[in-house]
Amino acid sequence: MLVSEGVAAAPPRESAFQRMMANGQLKMVLIFVPPAILIFTVFVILPMIQAGLFSPYKWSGYGPVPWALNEDTGRTFGRWIGTTNFERMMSHSAFKQSLVNTLLVIGVSIAIQLPLAMTLALMIYRSSRINTVFRLIFFLPYVMAEVATGLIFSFVLDGNYGLSRSFADLMGWEKAFFPLAEKPWAFYCILGVIVWKYFGFHMMIFIAGLQSISSEVLEAAKIDGAKTLQSVFLIKLPLLWPSITISVFYAVLGGLQVFDLVMPMTAGGPSNSSHTLVSYLYNFGFIRLNIGFGSAVGVFLFVVGVAFAFLYRNTVQRGQ
Amino acid sequence: MISWKEVGRIATLLFVSSLILIPLSATVLGGFKTTGEMRVSPFGWPREWITEVYVEILRDPQFWTYLWNSLVISLLTVFLTLILGSMAAYAFAQAKFFGANFLYSYLLLGLMFPFAAAILPLFLTVRDMGILDTPWGVILPQVAFGLAFSIMFFRTFFKQMPDELFEAARVDGCGYIRFFFLFTLPLSTPILATIATFVFVQSWNNYLLPLIMLNDRDGYTWTLGAMDYRGEYSWAWNRTLAFVSATLAPAVVFFLAAQKYIVAGLTGGAVKG
Amino acid sequence: MAEVILNNVQKRFGSVEVIPDLSLRIADGSFTVLVGPSGCGKSTLLRMIAGLEDVSGGQVTIGGEDVTGAEPDKRGIAMVFQSYALYPHMTVRQNIGFALRLAKRPKQEIKERVEEAAEILKLGPLLDRKPRQLSGGQRQRVAIGRAIVRNPKVFLFDEPLSNLDAALRTQMRVELAELHAKLGATMIYVTHDQVEAMTMADQIVIMKSGVIQQSGQPMDLYKRPGNPFVAGFIGSPKMNLLEGRVAKDREAIVFGVRPEHIKVSDEGGEWRGVVRHAEHLGSDTVVYVDAEKVGALTVRLTGEVPLRAGSPVWMTPESGNVHLFRADGSVERV
Ligand SMILES: Nc1ncnc2c1ncn2[C@@H]1O[C@H](COP(=O)(O)OP(=O)(O)OP(=O)(O)O)[C@@H](O)[C@H]1O
Ligand SMILES: [Mg+2]
Repeated sequence: MLVSEGVAAAPPRESAFQRMMANGQLKMVLIFVPPAILIFTVFVILPMIQAGLFSPYKWSGYGPVPWALNEDTGRTFGRWIGTTNFERMMSHSAFKQSLVNTLLVIGVSIAIQLPLAMTLALMIYRSSRINTVFRLIFFLPYVMAEVATGLIFSFVLDGNYGLSRSFADLMGWEKAFFPLAEKPWAFYCILGVIVWKYFGFHMMIFIAGLQSISSEVLEAAKIDGAKTLQSVFLIKLPLLWPSITISVFYAVLGGLQVFDLVMPMTAGGPSNSSHTLVSYLYNFGFIRLNIGFGSAVGVFLFVVGVAFAFLYRNTVQRGQ
Repeated sequence: MISWKEVGRIATLLFVSSLILIPLSATVLGGFKTTGEMRVSPFGWPREWITEVYVEILRDPQFWTYLWNSLVISLLTVFLTLILGSMAAYAFAQAKFFGANFLYSYLLLGLMFPFAAAILPLFLTVRDMGILDTPWGVILPQVAFGLAFSIMFFRTFFKQMPDELFEAARVDGCGYIRFFFLFTLPLSTPILATIATFVFVQSWNNYLLPLIMLNDRDGYTWTLGAMDYRGEYSWAWNRTLAFVSATLAPAVVFFLAAQKYIVAGLTGGAVKG
Repeated sequence: MAEVILNNVQKRFGSVEVIPDLSLRIADGSFTVLVGPSGCGKSTLLRMIAGLEDVSGGQVTIGGEDVTGAEPDKRGIAMVFQSYALYPHMTVRQNIGFALRLAKRPKQEIKERVEEAAEILKLGPLLDRKPRQLSGGQRQRVAIGRAIVRNPKVFLFDEPLSNLDAALRTQMRVELAELHAKLGATMIYVTHDQVEAMTMADQIVIMKSGVIQQSGQPMDLYKRPGNPFVAGFIGSPKMNLLEGRVAKDREAIVFGVRPEHIKVSDEGGEWRGVVRHAEHLGSDTVVYVDAEKVGALTVRLTGEVPLRAGSPVWMTPESGNVHLFRADGSVERV
């Protein structure tokens, strides 16, 4: 890890290593770097590697690792089943649904949420007292815990109480309407709440970007004859491109990980129709203590996430 | 003087605001209503202000235990992330050593990681370390996942600090480690505040990790507590709403006050008023 | 053709009155320079002419047409900003052609007019670069090119050279003067720099707190400043503005004499003093003197004069070059 050539043969002049020793740099590096590396490795990298190693086993999590020998039974703790976990996952309708749902989250985030956030950002990016108030209001959902948001909306959408009740009354329906318990509605409700919760976050990114556009450039465009929409599409949006790419990146990586909202709202139901990848993993891996299977889902999630991040950084975000 | 464009703008903004504020106010007000009134007028002003529900929750020691647990976990997460992250970032910013780039890229891997992917092996790791059902089972993974982004921000910030300061201190006989604690950290308050706020928000709102790592009710964070409460009083929305309001209110006030830092953390740059 | 007339123009930002009431006539084809201390409202005035800022009262006329409420692009003006304000995501060609594109001119015409402008400004080889690949001076030229291409009747410049280094500034000054001669358009130019004002202007307008103090040809303002503020503002080093006995003896409130209009001798003169500090520039010597009775004086002498701190000197103001500012606002030159 540290320069080592310098120590072997006595060099003609002081080596970089000796200089580091002498001025205390080496000591500092040796004290400052390892704790972070250690904790990161133990709690992030190793578990991910383990997920890869566990994924070809059927294992309940009992015992240290699935391939260790259980003295009591004379067999290993887990059973090697090759790619079966992946095959089961791929053919599981609930998994397919969770994948579709996750893609829906990403699609809605990019196609509905970002334009909405951009429109609002354009309306309130200038500094004024009124705009600051609106900014705070729009940012409010983002700082609220997902769980709290989910609970609030399960109330709003509760057929006996909230909005849905008023809606049913308005329509003159006899029976109460429970959208979160209706297969075609449940996940759309979650999508709506996702837009509600996160648009303020993207709006803030865009506002920061808009504020960094020089006002003289916009005035120059005005003098050149640009009308409001022309200045949005020909000047502001192109100059916001870096902010937009950041936003899309967050939308995708965040979309892959939606979980906290699903639990209070539907917990994946009805009949597993509203799972996301993570809630699927939780439900079919953790709850059922199916470590091998859950790890396979985790590996899938990891590959999708990292492949996206890698490709994205090297194509769209190149040079930023 | 007031143009139609401005009227349209304000109307749109008010409409969007109402979509946000109506559910929130219904939540806060819901705790003041009877179950019966909840059914009749879920969004309206309470006809009669019932304070028993709130009082009962605030009197419940369990409620304070939840908040306390969340606070302890969040503060320790913030503290450890700041100290470990800034130390490592300082080494990466100040010293050139063999493998520095490699190690730095290694840490940055954490930025593109879907955190939930390794949750099962992480659970086993925590279990095998014997810290399941303790705050550390939540704190350490949170710190590990917060390191990547905080190291990146710290390093950028440290690199921008003038070298002359360090050189002057060196001449006066101040070493790297002492310099870090006496100069670098005190001069980094803006970035410390940004990262602290951001990490705190993440930790305070976290649900998945506590859900997996904490089983004992007395160790629950408030997010777990809220879900539990919902399960227990599923017949009485006013109780759940009051619980949510009581936990949300202080956090929301704090977060809004610190929103500048949160946004700065998200965008990697400062936001003007 | 394009005379700019401001009639009783006013500007308030909320309750802050920046320009109380200002009238000004800028002749067609003139090069008018607005100067004044920071915050006096020069930019605000320019931006009101451009239409970037609404007037709170009064009337703006360009080329005989009332444009008070007109959009900026309908006023026949072009503006060059201090920060250049180039569109960072567009090439030089697109930057210069942007106004024509918005005006929906045919492609061929845009191309020709952009190249024509590039020709004038020697930007030909840079047309396909982005602004960030240009030097400060080149960016400045692109900004001017963007203005030229629209064939404006009036050019507005807000401190266009202040971001350039001294050498480049001198060069651009000459180029702008040439451009003015060539295009013959009206130019209104805001600056802090006296040299720019004195060398480029047909007409200088001196402002203070939103009020015009005096306007006229540069030499006119130098020779016949209308009040102590103008006297102190034009000329470098600053005119000596003396209050107290010297002024009172002559029934004035301020006695003004320029440093270059004081004669120095070691035998005798009107005032006696001791040199506090001397700056030897080679072509000139600037001497700071503590004079008896009148106080601190600045004196500028031509050529190298061997005066040192502590040297005793006699000084005499040149007759005909003394400005006596009276309480009633009149000025007498003796
Ligand atoms: N948008 C605004 N709102 C409120 N006050 C303003 C605004 N723009 C300018 N001012 C005020 O108007 C006055 C004149 O400003 P202006 O920019 O015209 O000065 P200036 O003469 O161009 O100064 P400088 O030489 O520093 O550029 C200043 O006191 C300024 O604070
Ligand atoms: Mg100005």
